[in-house]
Amino acid sequence: MMRVECQNLTARAGSTTLLQGLTFTLDQPGFVGVLGPNGAGKSTLLRHLAGYQVPCEGIVQWNGLPLSQWSSADRAAACGYMPQQFTPAWNYAVREILELGIHRRTSTPPPSLAAILEAHGLETLAGRRWNSLSGGERARVILAASVATAPPLVLADEPGASLDLRHKLDLLQRLKSLSQNALVIVVMHDLDLALRFCDRLILLESGYVVADDTPTGLLDGDALERTFRLRLQKVKRQEGHDQVIGIG
Amino acid sequence: MKGRFITLGMSLLLAVAFGVVAGHEWASPARILKALGGADDMGSQLLLSWRLPRVAASALVGALLGLGGAIFQGVFRNPLAEPYLLGASGGAAIGASIALLVPMGLPEAPLLAALSFLGALGATWLVLAIAGLHRRPDVAGLLLAGVAVAAMLGALRSFLMLALSDDSMNLQVVLSWTLGGIQTPSPTGLALLAGLVIISLLASLSLAHGLDLLGLGDEQAFAFGLNPARFERWAVLTGAAIVAAGVAFGGLVAFVGLIAPHIGRWFVGPRHALLLPASALIGAALVAVCDGIARSALPPAEIPLGLITALVGGPFFLFLLSRRFRT
Repeated sequence: MMRVECQNLTARAGSTTLLQGLTFTLDQPGFVGVLGPNGAGKSTLLRHLAGYQVPCEGIVQWNGLPLSQWSSADRAAACGYMPQQFTPAWNYAVREILELGIHRRTSTPPPSLAAILEAHGLETLAGRRWNSLSGGERARVILAASVATAPPLVLADEPGASLDLRHKLDLLQRLKSLSQNALVIVVMHDLDLALRFCDRLILLESGYVVADDTPTGLLDGDALERTFRLRLQKVKRQEGHDQVIGIG
Repeated sequence: MKGRFITLGMSLLLAVAFGVVAGHEWASPARILKALGGADDMGSQLLLSWRLPRVAASALVGALLGLGGAIFQGVFRNPLAEPYLLGASGGAAIGASIALLVPMGLPEAPLLAALSFLGALGATWLVLAIAGLHRRPDVAGLLLAGVAVAAMLGALRSFLMLALSDDSMNLQVVLSWTLGGIQTPSPTGLALLAGLVIISLLASLSLAHGLDLLGLGDEQAFAFGLNPARFERWAVLTGAAIVAAGVAFGGLVAFVGLIAPHIGRWFVGPRHALLLPASALIGAALVAVCDGIARSALPPAEIPLGLITALVGGPFFLFLLSRRFRT
């Protein structure tokens, strides 16, 4: 179980303020989406929640302990963080990337490589090199490596942004199943997918939280339309259909 | 994997054998065996006390350069990073020139090592500060900063040589050292060099996991438990120290640190626990062969070792660069 808390979280780059005094607490396992237009501060927020960036003001705490007091090894064991960009400098084999994800210091014994390969359906890819993988395969490998130690917190920045719809859905379904036992926080662009998968949505605009609600609550309000400056039409998806696609 | 290391080990043995055979006067295997058997004629004595230690020293210097190159490429996540191009060697050369030319009343050998180390470190930091280590390392920026700093350091070294040498002996020593060349070491010097190689190998291996993580990119390395900024500082320090040790014993020997890790990756893949020892073996074999060529190509003159490695390494570097531009 992981409790993530931001108090007055403020981030700046030079004279530009990226996050303005964000305060919220996430303390239940579940799938939390971070939404907002480009430049709203979504990735910056995720990097601060992961501890990769240090706040200019305010504090981020995991389980009541400021991130600055977590050791690198404990932090890595507690959090699976998938940044937006993942481009290895060397042409690692899938097995090698997974081993690097597995060998984080955890209180529980590390899982076996075979178990991770099986859990993510990667058995046939183990010996393949990174450069020979398709986008969908790469996304599965990096997810498997990130969550290899079953961390209680999973952070993902636009997972599968460059994937086709089927692979994107597959990736989100995997994250959704992780969210039964872990707090999964995901930066998302696709409103339809966010509303469908998330249990809670945090809507950012210009570094402020403009809404923090359930998908139904967000749909019922007007924050989405105001933030994206769009007029949206709500349509109920039919049972057995994966996605709503608007035409015309 | 074991087989690949056996291949690399055999290559090193062959390279060392070539180094022992090659020279101003070529030695037949029979003559070498006779010398090893304890014959006390002049030729055998020369082989044992002059050529063998020199071949051993060349292999050990090569191992240091291979290790240094693998660390630098790992830290910068870039197969074109090379100590010579990133200022470390040029900085070490400035340190060594000062040690050789400025009378300080201190013993020359430890002074040379200490000043080479400080020079290597200072120049590497200068290049990194210009190109920006903690931003996304950019190959063009690094290489350009490296070229500019190397040119500055080269000019500074020439100036020091002109301004400070008051007897021609010292100037000659610095000049031959600048062009790269292994001197036949004393037994103590050889033991010291061997000790440095062992320490360097152990220090490098302690970096292996961190270098593997860095290869995934800064953010992913952080996510897997590394503190990238702290690790990079430590790894650059270690790499610069290893290169400085190599430069202190072998002068400026270019491109070995670039080539050895490349060939190493073809053999054992990118994981550093295997790549570092493989680069050491390949670097050792390369310098042993090049030193053999340097001693035997134009008898009785000896070609500076740095010229041979640059003639081999330069085209290799250009080949890699052109392949990179194509992709």
